[in-house]
Amino acid sequence: MSTQTSVFHSSTVALLFAGLGLGGAWYGASIVMPSLASRHGAGIDSMLSYLLVTTGILFVAGYCALAWFIWTGARRRRIDQRLTRRRTEWLVSGALGLAVGLIAEGGVLAIGMPVWSEYFDATPPADAVTVEITAQQFLWNVRYPGADGQFGRNSAAAMDDVSNPLGLDRADPAGRDDVVTQNVMAVPLGRAVRLRLRSKDVIHSFFLPNFRVKQDIVPGMTPEVVFFPTREGSFEIACSELCGLAHYRMRGFFDVLSPAAFDRWLAEQATPTAGGPR
Amino acid sequence: MQLALEPELSRREETVRLGLWMFLATVAMLFAAFASAYLVRRGGSDWMRINLPPVLWLNTALLVAGSGALEAAHAVGARRRWLSASAACGVALALGVGFLLGQLVAWEQLLSAGVDMPESPHSSFFYMLTGAHALHVVAALGVMLWTGLLTWTGAGRRQPRRWAAAMHSTRTIWHFLLGVWLFVFALISLY
Amino acid sequence: MSHAATTVPGHDQSHPELGFIRRYVFSLDHKVIGIQYIVTGLLMALVGAALATLIRLQLGWPERTWPLLAQLLPKGYAGGVMAPEFYLAVVTMHGTIMVFFFMSYVLVSGFGNYLVPLQVGARDMAFPLANMLSFWIGALSALLMIASFFVEGGAAAAGWTAYPPLSAVATAVPGSGMGQTIWLLSMAFFIASFTLSGLNIVATVFSVRAPGMSMWRMPLTVWSYFIASILGLLAFPALTAAAVMLLFDRHAGTSFFLPAGLVVGGRHLTNSGGSPLLWQHLFWFLGHPEVYVLILPALGIACDIIPAFTRKPIFGYRLSVWCLVAVGALSMVVWGHHMFVSGMSPFTGEYFSIATMTITLPMTVFGVNMLASLRGGAIRMGVPMMFSCAVLALFGSGGLGGLYLGNATADMQLTDTYFVVGHFHMMIGGVTLMATFGGLHYWFPKMFGRMMNETIGKAHFWLTFTPFFIIFFMQHFLGIQGAPRRYYAFTAYDFLRETRIQNLVVSSCAMVLIASQSLFVVNFVWSLFRGAPAADNPWEATTLEWTTSSPPPHDNFGQAELTVHRWPYEYGVESGDRDFADQRVPPGRVPVTA
Repeated sequence: MSTQTSVFHSSTVALLFAGLGLGGAWYGASIVMPSLASRHGAGIDSMLSYLLVTTGILFVAGYCALAWFIWTGARRRRIDQRLTRRRTEWLVSGALGLAVGLIAEGGVLAIGMPVWSEYFDATPPADAVTVEITAQQFLWNVRYPGADGQFGRNSAAAMDDVSNPLGLDRADPAGRDDVVTQNVMAVPLGRAVRLRLRSKDVIHSFFLPNFRVKQDIVPGMTPEVVFFPTREGSFEIACSELCGLAHYRMRGFFDVLSPAAFDRWLAEQATPTAGGPR
Repeated sequence: MQLALEPELSRREETVRLGLWMFLATVAMLFAAFASAYLVRRGGSDWMRINLPPVLWLNTALLVAGSGALEAAHAVGARRRWLSASAACGVALALGVGFLLGQLVAWEQLLSAGVDMPESPHSSFFYMLTGAHALHVVAALGVMLWTGLLTWTGAGRRQPRRWAAAMHSTRTIWHFLLGVWLFVFALISLY
Repeated sequence: MSHAATTVPGHDQSHPELGFIRRYVFSLDHKVIGIQYIVTGLLMALVGAALATLIRLQLGWPERTWPLLAQLLPKGYAGGVMAPEFYLAVVTMHGTIMVFFFMSYVLVSGFGNYLVPLQVGARDMAFPLANMLSFWIGALSALLMIASFFVEGGAAAAGWTAYPPLSAVATAVPGSGMGQTIWLLSMAFFIASFTLSGLNIVATVFSVRAPGMSMWRMPLTVWSYFIASILGLLAFPALTAAAVMLLFDRHAGTSFFLPAGLVVGGRHLTNSGGSPLLWQHLFWFLGHPEVYVLILPALGIACDIIPAFTRKPIFGYRLSVWCLVAVGALSMVVWGHHMFVSGMSPFTGEYFSIATMTITLPMTVFGVNMLASLRGGAIRMGVPMMFSCAVLALFGSGGLGGLYLGNATADMQLTDTYFVVGHFHMMIGGVTLMATFGGLHYWFPKMFGRMMNETIGKAHFWLTFTPFFIIFFMQHFLGIQGAPRRYYAFTAYDFLRETRIQNLVVSSCAMVLIASQSLFVVNFVWSLFRGAPAADNPWEATTLEWTTSSPPPHDNFGQAELTVHRWPYEYGVESGDRDFADQRVPPGRVPVTA
């Protein structure tokens, strides 16, 4: 291959990397997340924004450096400098390594951990709306404790997909006013939401994209999630852990209503068959 | 002439020893994984201990005696007393087979007492750990049989170096599996 | 007592003419075994690519029917529409085949077998018989995995991570019947095969190096295989243990991973007290080191290709070696970052997050060293170099993606989305794939004595790297938009409606990517028979394999005495009319610089 075509060929490769770097950043900047609707979600979003900005700069810089080294290297007949002193090597790579390490670790410690602890350490306020979600292939059973604030007893032994999916003990007085729905839930704006998550069969994951809430539900465990919705609206629940054939359409609805509308909604749900499934 | 107990090793022998130890390291990791699973699972609400059959103590003794017999075989073989070495190898082999039979007896006793594998997590681990260990012992018996054949057929006399290498591998494996058994036995009886 | 083996092991072996079977089928020669592994892996890659085609057809055009596929795969495409259970089996098998039977075979066992003895100046592997056994157990395991497609219920469908209870309960998903059992058995064989080959690599590096080949004179390729093999040996037994326990849960009624009160499909199970999380810990204790087992050799290969095409020593050799060691050690203690939202304690999550971020340091240093190796070089952009630059590029972007996923707070939103899919395809999919192509172009002349075609190679690079980058870069952003992975379609949700166009672009690029692999197949086969005859050292490289003939003789270096005098990156020196000195050139002729 003649030198000229060789330089041309190398230059196209250099341009490919530069183009992918710049084009990638341009494309990435155009993407938006699902609109935010929770308080702690702002923290997660700032964590992500921090990462998008820092890694975006590193990404473009790295791809352009790669392109530049190829571009100039292709035009060089003799190498510039054979060996670098070992101390310089340690300084250059070490400094860059430390810088990126600090960006990463600093992000975790300064932005990430506070959000993480706030989310997991949150003690639910007394007026929090408690909802129990029992996942099964392929739907979300939703249960509200009703006016007494107590969930009625239930047991796995009594579970029956047709007549009693939650295995409720009908004799328990605490269960009389429990409100049960499937795939549809609502919460009032202005109060914290406290979810008790359970699974009947395999691992599911309760995912509210707009609320930045995602919690695996491992059968045998009852993880709790506490968060504060910040605006009214109708949102979607998705399953984000492979749970079987209809994993991709295990869809639920999560409505944030005004307090009055919420009370109305809950009363509507309660009337048809109190204490039992609809 | 007496063979030095630790003659200067050829490069090949060093390589074999290294390979053997690395293999044993993976076996150790396997049992470490089982053990950590055991400790995690032990926290479950349904953990119920089973009564371990006392024959396990006898089996432990057989395994220890097997190690002793191998050491004896090695020591007399190094002094080129091949008749004694042959006998000691035979004893070690018999003790090894005895250990396996003893483990079968332990299983049999538990099964006849109605304690099968799904009975409780403790019994599940008992059958699995003893089974995994026994499989390794079967493989080790194969290696031991090979060394025994070298001794009995006189191949060891003609090629003492080869015999010493085979003997070394056998002892390493057997002592290692004794160690694994003591660890497993302690784990299932104490925790 | 005289020393039986003062010569290099294998040197004293006589080489009577062996029959075809002993030479090419049940061969003890590490070079033949390496090529057997590579060919097996490439064939498995074709299977994996075919599965990827089905996945992308479904995700790109979810509403279309495929009459042709209905004829080819009547069970999976009844009525022309892909069955969801078939989709899950395809996803599971694509992951399993690509990770274990393509990348591990070609990159680790294949190139590892071929290169390590040659590059350390050994005549063969330390244990050739175990090596042959390793390949045949490996081939059996691959066949078993393929066979699982044809059993009742189809292949395993619980994902390559096989989380119980989905993978433990036969009625949870069709593939959790016989398919999952075969999957577990096949993995056990795979681990046995990998253990034998890993033992061989470590023992060979430790004790059969040529005189003068000190550890600090080993090429980075050898270092990376050395570290990767140690990692594999220590990590794989955890999956063996987990697989045994899962088999018992499935077939003996035990409750290692199954908790009390499960009601699957209306059926009450009698298990009690087991912990599904235990499986995840054991799986990822293997799974995380496994990705380094794959990626370290890829980086090592690129590090050895780059100097030959920049005509300049690698930048920061010793530092890079320490990085490999550090990454290897750290990779064993960070597995929990796969489980941030699994329900394990948030404090554990904090630990795993902080520990994971420390990996950034050695990995960045390694990447910077690679990048700095290009600076000031006189670059010849041959096909191996193009793919090595692609390794560097994907390693950079994939590594930056890792900063999101290792960060527990960001991971809360991104875990189990397409961000993860994009990330690991860039790393253990892309870095390894590019290194595989780069390595095949680079060592093909050594393996077969012929050059691969340069023009087809370049076209193949453009049509592989560009779509690959676009596909998986875009998938990161699908994840940021919230698209969960392992979805059969994105049609059921409003918030995913806007990903429609992106999935169409991704699928179209995937079709280009997969179709263009035919260029590689043609190039490979054509060059095998018609390629230009290769010189012994076509790339003017310095490592030991280039000092012997192409292809090397059975004992690698013939009767010549083999002594190593220098490090493997002696480029840019005055050596007659050449600008490099291979590792055997004595110090009297060219001064030794490291």
